[in-house]
Amino acid sequence: MIELRNISLKYGDKEILKNVSLTVKDNTIKAILGPSGVGKSTILKLMLGLIKPNSGHVLIDGTDITSMKEASLYSIRRKMGMVFQGNALFDSLTISQNLGFFLRENMKLPEEEIERRVTEQIKFAGLEGYEDQLPESLSGGMRRRVAIGRALIFKPHMILFDEPTAGLDPVSSKKILSLIRDLRHNNNLGAVIVTHIIDDVFNVADCVAVLYQGEIIFDDVTEKLHQSQHPFIRSILSDKILEL
Amino acid sequence: MLLTFARKQEKAVALWLKDFILTMQEFFLFSVRAFKAFPKAKRYWRDVLDQATICGTDSIPIVLVSAISIGSLLAIEVGNLLEDFGAKTMLGRSTSLSVIRELGPLLMGLMLSARFGSRNGSELGAMQISEQIDALRAFGTDPVAKLVMPRLVAALIMFLPLTALSDFAGLHSAAYMAEHYHRLDPGIFWNAVYPRLAPKDFVVGFLKAPVFAIIITLVSSFNGFSARGGTAGVGSSTIKGIVVSSGLVLVANFYVSKIVLENM
Repeated sequence: MIELRNISLKYGDKEILKNVSLTVKDNTIKAILGPSGVGKSTILKLMLGLIKPNSGHVLIDGTDITSMKEASLYSIRRKMGMVFQGNALFDSLTISQNLGFFLRENMKLPEEEIERRVTEQIKFAGLEGYEDQLPESLSGGMRRRVAIGRALIFKPHMILFDEPTAGLDPVSSKKILSLIRDLRHNNNLGAVIVTHIIDDVFNVADCVAVLYQGEIIFDDVTEKLHQSQHPFIRSILSDKILEL
Repeated sequence: MLLTFARKQEKAVALWLKDFILTMQEFFLFSVRAFKAFPKAKRYWRDVLDQATICGTDSIPIVLVSAISIGSLLAIEVGNLLEDFGAKTMLGRSTSLSVIRELGPLLMGLMLSARFGSRNGSELGAMQISEQIDALRAFGTDPVAKLVMPRLVAALIMFLPLTALSDFAGLHSAAYMAEHYHRLDPGIFWNAVYPRLAPKDFVVGFLKAPVFAIIITLVSSFNGFSARGGTAGVGSSTIKGIVVSSGLVLVANFYVSKIVLENM
């Protein structure tokens, strides 16, 4: 379970997050919805301890990681997989090397086990035949699937997606969303999805938090979003995509 | 109005000073992390070898070109000057001192600052803006140990033989020019070189290699890690890395010479 308690964050004079509190339970998919540049990706980085808040606490499975040192955070981070918005694949490594990279780096597993897990993820992502290709030779949707495979290879409890369908064509977007749904049903994984596309929320999320001007203005099950009378939520429900 | 302007300037200076101190603090901590990761060199030996090829073997041509050109020029110009005083036989002594103590290591340092430093800055900067460094951290790998430490170890190992190569090429090109341009017998040239070189001359020259290795690697890598704002950000952080490391190489060159020559 991930908990953010009264998180505030400033970049210089700009207040990004104001007293934000959020809980993501295991085996649930939670979406964080909001316009671009509002601090949604920052929330994911806070959850991983990649950045520290000015005040408040981040708890992972009850452990407060806010003041943990970098070296102690590595084992906590391995409980979560992260899919970055730009995929963050290593461009000089092949697809199979990208998938196996962190297993070779951080886990003392026999090479056969690493190969087995890499093959499993290649099959899961539907990328058979592309094992020896470099990321640059793949389409955007394929690269996103490799990034998801890389996040899953550790067998994490929770997976964090930063704009999983941004920049993808409608067909690739559908494939990615169905992949996320499969993860929940087949692997019992929890997920946090940061997005500005409201259709993605209704497609995959069990619950949703809406971030607006640095504050959470809605945090409940997805179905109740329609009942909200907040003017911003009413406007996004009619416009569907937030390009503010 | 003048008072308002003065206050604005004062505030700007205070902000710049605060930024400068914070950057220095970050750079210090970054450097400590890189040195503390040295025990992991065995684990990342492949990365160390890759970096040794980049900063060592691949840099040989540029080091040779700069050493040969400066050795030749030095022999021609110093030879002309010594001829006026009838002291051309001292050409070997004066060029060997200049090359071994100063110009050999300095030129090698400046060339590697441009070549190795720019590569570090742009490669790490591109990794930073494409979130690859964040990905390393997110999946539990220390990016300083994985990316910076191998560069530092490789530079510390390779800069020494490159300095020796630079000295060797500089001296031999000077000897060639002494023989073919100034018509000086090679025996006279080399007799003025070897017996007269003292251990401190080599200490001055070769002590600069590890100092330059640390400056170039850490400054360029730190700037790469600090890259922000897309491709333009990578460009400006790379330039900043080269300018700062080249400036520091020049300053360090002076101080290493001064400290060693005063104390040996």
